[in-house]
Amino acid sequence: MSQRQRNKSIEDILRVIELCRSIRLSSADPFEVDIKEKINILRKLLPEYKFLDELLLDAEALYQLSQIVKLQDEYIKRKAGSMYIDPLLIELKLRLLSKESLANAIVKSLHPIATLDQLSPRGLERAFIYWRDLQPLSERFKDERGITTQPGKIGVEELVTMRILSKEKFEDKLKAVEDELTKVSAGEWIDYYSFIDAGKYEEKVEKAYILAFLVTEGKAEIRIDPLSEKVYLRSSNIKLTSEPRSVAIPVGAE
Amino acid sequence: MEADRAYLERKLKRAFQLLILQRGRNPGVKGWELRRYIGKDFRKILEILSKELSSFGLEVYEVKGPDNSEDSSRFILRFREPPTLYEAEMAGMRIDELAVLAVTIAYINAKQGRASRKEMERFLREKFPKWRVEYSLDRFVKKGYLEQNEELLQIGWRTRAEIDERTLLTLVLSGVSEKVPSSK
Repeated sequence: MSQRQRNKSIEDILRVIELCRSIRLSSADPFEVDIKEKINILRKLLPEYKFLDELLLDAEALYQLSQIVKLQDEYIKRKAGSMYIDPLLIELKLRLLSKESLANAIVKSLHPIATLDQLSPRGLERAFIYWRDLQPLSERFKDERGITTQPGKIGVEELVTMRILSKEKFEDKLKAVEDELTKVSAGEWIDYYSFIDAGKYEEKVEKAYILAFLVTEGKAEIRIDPLSEKVYLRSSNIKLTSEPRSVAIPVGAE
Repeated sequence: MEADRAYLERKLKRAFQLLILQRGRNPGVKGWELRRYIGKDFRKILEILSKELSSFGLEVYEVKGPDNSEDSSRFILRFREPPTLYEAEMAGMRIDELAVLAVTIAYINAKQGRASRKEMERFLREKFPKWRVEYSLDRFVKKGYLEQNEELLQIGWRTRAEIDERTLLTLVLSGVSEKVPSSK
């Protein structure tokens, strides 16, 4: 069998499956499917199958056809029973009736179930065991979600506690950078990157970090030119009156 | 004679307790359970119990299972007579919801027992707002009045247990009485 013929036979099976599915999932008449004709198609194609996926498709088509036969059986039983009424007539009546009349119709044919729902000692015991063995939400979905850590902030206090910085040393550094900025800028706008560029990458990051503190305290000002996207810096001595705005400035990779 | 009477009373009491207390997710007791707890003659016991309960307005009702066998049948206790609209409203059923249920069951029956959910929603939206239709259908599926298989809606076990579908269709066809009786 050529590739073209193979594709065509697969298409034929898929068409049978799709037809059966669409009939099953709608209220369409199941007798619209000509079972004999479809079986003949499958029978004709069967000897030509070579691959497993073709055989699986054939099995699926047969299953779908069997479901249609089941529906046809139910359809005949219903139609033969006294419950059969012309669907169009019912639809018309349903459209014409008011909400109150419809509610009245269902209530007149309703026989509510009488039941008592109560907690038994066994039920209580099961509930207790369930609650006792129930893991916290974070544990329950660990395998699916993995362990996630939320991004957080690290402040000077914490760095001091972690012994990365010492309080005295940090304040000295703060003062040194402030003095340097006052000296270099002398109240004029200077290029931010030129100022922090200190040769070594670690020193550059440290200077940017300390500058962030100076800006927050109002001892330095930052201005970003929206057109050239250049960042400017100058020393300042303004007292902050409003909530400071956070600005992210990349310092570049090593 | 006295021993027989005591035996019967014991069985009746046991059957009533089994039927009234909901043990699983759904009310009622399966045929095989009743045979196990009451004995082979459980149908006779249920018949007598049903007669005894008629003075309280209750009856024992059999809901046939998928294979129509006695074992798969579900036996329930239900009201012998339908409630009034007022009583149904007092039990927490809204007129809107009852109307949606009436349309849904009658429509599915007219369509030979199955209708696609989309088709059903489209039909209901001629009379009811979208949110009411979606909310009510979901609720009926959850309560067992309807069964949803993929996109297909079918009659659920509770409808078969509580609703006399033949009466409903007759009432719908006869146009019911436009005047809703006041039963307060």
